[in-house]
Amino acid sequence: MEIRISSILLAALLLPGCSWFHRGDKGPKPVVAEEPQADPSIILPQVKRRAITTPKIKARDIELGAYFGALSIQDFGTNPVYGARVAYHVSEDIFFESFLGRSKGGQTSLEDVFPNITVVDKSGRRFTYYDLDLGYNVLPGEIFLGRGRAFNSALYMTVGMGAVKFAKKDQFSLNFGVGSRILITDWLALHMDVRDHVFETSLTGRTKNVHNIETTLGFTTFF
Amino acid sequence: MRYLFVVTLLVQALFVTQSYAKAKPLELVVAEPYLEMRSGPGRGFPVFYVVGRGETLVVLFSRTDWYKVRAPRGQEGWARREELAKTLFASGEPAPIPPYPDFTNHRWELGAGYGVYNRQNLITAYTDLALTQSLDAEFVLQQALGTIDNRYVATIGLRHTFVPEWKWASPTVGLGTGYQTITDKIPPKPLETRNQLGYVSIGARGFITKRFMWRLDWRSYVIFTKQNANKEPEEWKFGLAVFY
Repeated sequence: MEIRISSILLAALLLPGCSWFHRGDKGPKPVVAEEPQADPSIILPQVKRRAITTPKIKARDIELGAYFGALSIQDFGTNPVYGARVAYHVSEDIFFESFLGRSKGGQTSLEDVFPNITVVDKSGRRFTYYDLDLGYNVLPGEIFLGRGRAFNSALYMTVGMGAVKFAKKDQFSLNFGVGSRILITDWLALHMDVRDHVFETSLTGRTKNVHNIETTLGFTTFF
Repeated sequence: MRYLFVVTLLVQALFVTQSYAKAKPLELVVAEPYLEMRSGPGRGFPVFYVVGRGETLVVLFSRTDWYKVRAPRGQEGWARREELAKTLFASGEPAPIPPYPDFTNHRWELGAGYGVYNRQNLITAYTDLALTQSLDAEFVLQQALGTIDNRYVATIGLRHTFVPEWKWASPTVGLGTGYQTITDKIPPKPLETRNQLGYVSIGARGFITKRFMWRLDWRSYVIFTKQNANKEPEEWKFGLAVFY
């Protein structure tokens, strides 16, 4: 009995103590609305403006990716090529595209027949290029795989210019290309391209336009 | 172990941002009699579904002038920008589809083109910031490829458009400065490989469609050299650009 009473007392003692700990600024302050002093008939609305944020629609117009394939360097054989590409789609028809690619020239026929002759030294066989192209989606459409699958696709043509560095010399080049873009998902695309890099060179003795045709396969993602 | 921890953190962060991105889908109500959904982002793709008036659709993302939307019953397709712009929020406010930037008042330009500089083939890329309606600051990076040498030219300048309201073609004049770097292809080496230069230009610009424009420029340069006479090459170029 005595214990029970003392525990009640103790509880009674402790409870205000607890409330003492909670005193101060922690509790919400009583809000006293200030009444307008001048004219009581005018009601001043105290409305806080609600900030409405409309969710932004993500624009996925930029395409970024890499490709791999074979580049036929005129007089220097066919060699593997790899590179990166970036595209910006302006409208459903038109896009800007830029490539940055790299390959290496092989042996010329002359070097094969006469092993002592060197047309281009080894370090100069590096073939690098960049392109700035304008593309047009000529044949947009869908590709069907079986009964229940359809992929959006487009056959496009690109034309542009750029620079090719081969035999340690930068040359102005014109590019013509045809490619196919197949959208596997909304953000992932498969590309198959054929591109020609035309530039003037006098590496083999006389000045001529050389055609360097590449066939590539690549993937891009839309951002 | 530390890597695992970092990777876990990164993955978590990724999921946080993903869930954040998914948390706020844009929902719009069709206000016109119907809204057509096509199977692809283009005018030629077939209409395969129609969302009726009063129905709510979710806007997922956009590609050029097309918006990927999800119908109330889960069908996903592409809606034309003009049609989606006529939809409303549930509150009745118009859909947040901004109109195309006004050509006369656009702020940014990004373009590339072909030209001839000092009788060399020229590849040019530029960006342009509108200071006022008729005055622009332009930043140009170009590579000229010739038989004797290659040159890189970087310039910064101001350009004035005479009648910005003339949409299809409007004359421009410009003034600026920059640097030229020469790398030789055939010996002998050039006497100076890096020079400052100044230029004046006259040209024209015009609207093509939507966000697309053309630009034509003729420039007369003065290259400041340490020799007795400065060099004064000329340049013309034509470019295509997008504006924002």
